[in-house]
Amino acid sequence: MNRGAVCFASLMSAALLLAFLAIAFGTVEVPFVDVLKSLVEPGGEDVAHRIVWDLRIPRVAAAVLAGGALAVSGLALQSVFKNPLCGPFVLGISSGASFGVALAMLAGFSFGRFGVLGAASLGAFAVTAVVLWIASRFRESAVLLVAGLLIGYFIDALVSVLIAGSAAENLRVYVAWGMGSFGRLTLDAIWIFAVAVCVGLALVVGSMRYLNAARVGDEFARGLGLPVRRARACVLLGASVLAGATTAFCGPVAFVGIAVPHLAFMLFKTTNHRVLVPGVFACGAVLALLAGLFPVSVPLNAVLSLVGVPVILSVLVRGAKR
Amino acid sequence: MSAVLESRSLCFGYGAKACCAMPLDFSLAMGEVVVLMGENGCGKSTLLKTFAGLVNPVAGTVALNGRSLGGWTPRDRARRVALVRMNQSVPDRMTVREFVSLGRIPYSGFLDCRSAEDERSVDEAMDLLDVDAFASRPIAELSDGERSRVFLAQALAQQVNVLLLDEPNAFLDIPRSHALFRLLKKIAAERQMGIVVSTHSVEYAERYADRILVIDPNRVRVSCAGEARSQGLFDWTEI
Repeated sequence: MNRGAVCFASLMSAALLLAFLAIAFGTVEVPFVDVLKSLVEPGGEDVAHRIVWDLRIPRVAAAVLAGGALAVSGLALQSVFKNPLCGPFVLGISSGASFGVALAMLAGFSFGRFGVLGAASLGAFAVTAVVLWIASRFRESAVLLVAGLLIGYFIDALVSVLIAGSAAENLRVYVAWGMGSFGRLTLDAIWIFAVAVCVGLALVVGSMRYLNAARVGDEFARGLGLPVRRARACVLLGASVLAGATTAFCGPVAFVGIAVPHLAFMLFKTTNHRVLVPGVFACGAVLALLAGLFPVSVPLNAVLSLVGVPVILSVLVRGAKR
Repeated sequence: MSAVLESRSLCFGYGAKACCAMPLDFSLAMGEVVVLMGENGCGKSTLLKTFAGLVNPVAGTVALNGRSLGGWTPRDRARRVALVRMNQSVPDRMTVREFVSLGRIPYSGFLDCRSAEDERSVDEAMDLLDVDAFASRPIAELSDGERSRVFLAQALAQQVNVLLLDEPNAFLDIPRSHALFRLLKKIAAERQMGIVVSTHSVEYAERYADRILVIDPNRVRVSCAGEARSQGLFDWTEI
């Protein structure tokens, strides 16, 4: 069996185990037998059923979808921009999504659930377009990262202005959302999130040949007969939808997008996106499930920073050694 | 001999600005190695990019296997012509084999899988350039000379019949440069390829080329390698 298959099998087993743990144990103690019973018979109305189906299963679904989506988004951005330190959070793309959500929640441009999702994706894509424009003008990779950071600050400032003029109730909802959590997805919204993630993945996977060649360079990809402009637009749109959907449903989630592709490289030891895209998705899901196991009182982004920051520092040190 | 690449009244350059005052009529035959020379900035790289279809001609036409470059789909074009540049950036972590395997992208499907035939041509290309010894090493860790060979292997895996090389010996030592030019002659003959290679070395040009093409600001001159010196094609090299 090859390395890829072994890694996949391990990640899948880990994901299943973690999902099971997250469903079986939580802040409220539910007897194990009751958990199993509610899993087997989904229709019940007792407390155990409500806890498992309304709280724990959506949480697991949110972790798997958000972790996987952010990780694939990060991988796509790193490949397109040829920069190992790119990610939806660092480039300000998550901030763009937040701004979309803020407009929907605070300024009243809300059109129900699809409205928030659409606004987040649109905000994410707008920032991606700006980042792409900057990347095409400056070859220096640090410029891109600093620009991403600045875009993030700028958007935070815009959000502050929105906050100043908004009603207390809307503000409360927005601040809670801004914490970033897997606990906010509801059972009936899982499918919307799942469809959005599938759309984003399809856009990324559809440009597999480009992703593989893009790591060398766009001119190189053109020499191989690839439609670079179209493929790049599709990949970036996909990365924006993935980051946007996650931000809409889970709030801003840090470090998964930037750190997981590196963890997946270490595991799979390949740069072939045919292996990496599913590998990165699985890795992201496992990491998010792991982070979700921490008590609700510990903020999600704190847990993710504890994992993400060392990974990013190690990438920096590796780069500096060159 | 039939022409694999042919230019008629070609003015090449970026935008509307042509590099050379006189239009170029040139045809590259199967199995032929043509060395491209000229001062820095004279447009050697631009001409190679124009031949590869990556830069549009300012005026005139370039035909590949008898059909205008614009008439090929980008994918079909990439199966017939490849441009190898040595100053290419290399991605972190990518291994030599993975890089050479990128040469099969013009033949691969939607998910970029590799067939047995693809693997065979990757093996062949790596074998021919003697890079299989470090197939699983990251390309970023190779020496410049080793990397040049890997770049060439990638283009060979593309199984083209027109190979364009931009200063392939820029990073090679003397013995490796000789070996490279010998190899180019061999693959041109064996695989019936037409090769255009740019270099600054008069020595290699005279010794290994079938013909020499010199770009100067006024015109482009082509001559057989043996007659180049007597016809004054190298006059510009001496100030």
